[in-house]
Amino acid sequence: MLSLNNITKSFSGVFEPVLKDINLSLCEGEFCTLVGANGSGKSTLLKIISGEYYADSGNIRRNGDISQVVQDVNKGTIPAMTMLENMALSRMKTPRFSFYKRHKNEIVEKIKSLNIGLEKFVDQPLEALSGGQRQTIATLMAINSGGKILLLDEHTSALDPKMQVMLMKYTVKSVREHGLTTLMITHNLDDAVKYGDRLIMMHKGRIVVDVKGRKKAELKIQSLLEMFHRFEDQSLLHEGGEDVN
Amino acid sequence: MSIDLFINGLQQGLILAIIAYGIMIPFRFLDFADLTADGAYPLGGATCAVCMLSGMHPTAAILVSMICAGIMGICTALIHLKFRVNSMLAGIILSTMAYSVNLRIMGKPNIALFDCGGLFRENIGYNMLIIVIILAICMIPFAVFLRTDFGLRFRAVGLNSDLARLQGISIRKYTIFGLFAAGSMFGLAGSLIVQLQNYMDVGIGVGILIHGLASLMIGEAIVGNATLNRQLIAPLLGALVYQQVQGIALSFGLAPSDLKFFTGSIVLLVIALKSGGKHVGIKQK
Repeated sequence: MLSLNNITKSFSGVFEPVLKDINLSLCEGEFCTLVGANGSGKSTLLKIISGEYYADSGNIRRNGDISQVVQDVNKGTIPAMTMLENMALSRMKTPRFSFYKRHKNEIVEKIKSLNIGLEKFVDQPLEALSGGQRQTIATLMAINSGGKILLLDEHTSALDPKMQVMLMKYTVKSVREHGLTTLMITHNLDDAVKYGDRLIMMHKGRIVVDVKGRKKAELKIQSLLEMFHRFEDQSLLHEGGEDVN
Repeated sequence: MSIDLFINGLQQGLILAIIAYGIMIPFRFLDFADLTADGAYPLGGATCAVCMLSGMHPTAAILVSMICAGIMGICTALIHLKFRVNSMLAGIILSTMAYSVNLRIMGKPNIALFDCGGLFRENIGYNMLIIVIILAICMIPFAVFLRTDFGLRFRAVGLNSDLARLQGISIRKYTIFGLFAAGSMFGLAGSLIVQLQNYMDVGIGVGILIHGLASLMIGEAIVGNATLNRQLIAPLLGALVYQQVQGIALSFGLAPSDLKFFTGSIVLLVIALKSGGKHVGIKQK
């Protein structure tokens, strides 16, 4: 569904490449969590997959449209538009010369399925809602946009703990229902262990850990934490990384 | 202020509203500061005058003027999109070039059209009705368009171009369409004023942008721009109020030569009142 071969990326003025020889392949419907310290190259990798950045070398194969939820909710939504308009916009892969309000009932049902009462704000501009509510709508937009590949960049990081749990549960349920191939960046190692079929850890532009299947299911947060700290300790770093798979 | 001045202000305000709509479309829906009005408005007038002199029907002359001025809008869009020239600079360059083009079209700096007929008569009420009908013919379909899938995508381009790109919306196509629409509005206003005055002068466009901008600012100060309906009402209301304010100022003895200073002061005042001390400005692309 998604395949990256020998991806390398540098930015001008930065001596060391941000991504070094990344090889990654995700099957259809696979849910992969991506962890790593700040500056490890996670967001750059997602931006290369989404097409926002070009890789210096290597190639990418995507078998399907991409939907994305970014950290900055103002980038992922249009605050000046109503919830209905935002949602309708995300559903228009083939626009028509008919009123976008024809989608209203369907959109209200989608929002109702969240069970947090957001449907009463359907005709309100998104800027009237809280950051958490807007991020929830951004996630809903991405999931229902018809894209087959979903990229999530710390999409719950700005939320309070209760909203984080609600949105993560909704995301996982929807991803499974729609069979989306998902790559989710998170700094919450608990979520990374708990959700998804596969876990990837990046360090200094390389994939250093890649676990899936039974090993992922058996992975404990303590061992993930240990790995995380080990790679953070510069003295233990070695070229080529470590593959636990 | 006399009743004649008031009614004349209404008539001028309706034409100014067309210019204000032309400014509003790229400015509010595309986040594109388009300054082509000073060139496209006289281009519309010049084209209309020459078409009428050649015996063309006034309505056909208006349509030709709208297309010519619309093409000028497309040129502004392409200069910005192809050569990455700042949107304001692209508009200024095109407006400067348009002056020579207009002189070429007209063959001389001014043209009288007293024997050519036109849409308008000596009856000011009739003339206002004609302008209202033309304005409605242009703006009602546009208001409907904004509520369709394509209209929603058009609005998204200006509000969040990053998200629009992510949704597969072609910024390029919508920018070209928006500037064609805006240019056509300038051309329409230019051709109407020429038919109303039976006279075309190559200098009619000087400072027209600031009048349109003042109208838009005043309209938005009165009704706001929070909803689509308010955005669509603001240019019309603003232009009508602005013309009356000008009329009042003139009736109190303001010299016509001071009008541009007066207009600029109104724009600054409205912006200052709206910002309430916060930093504001036109976002440049």
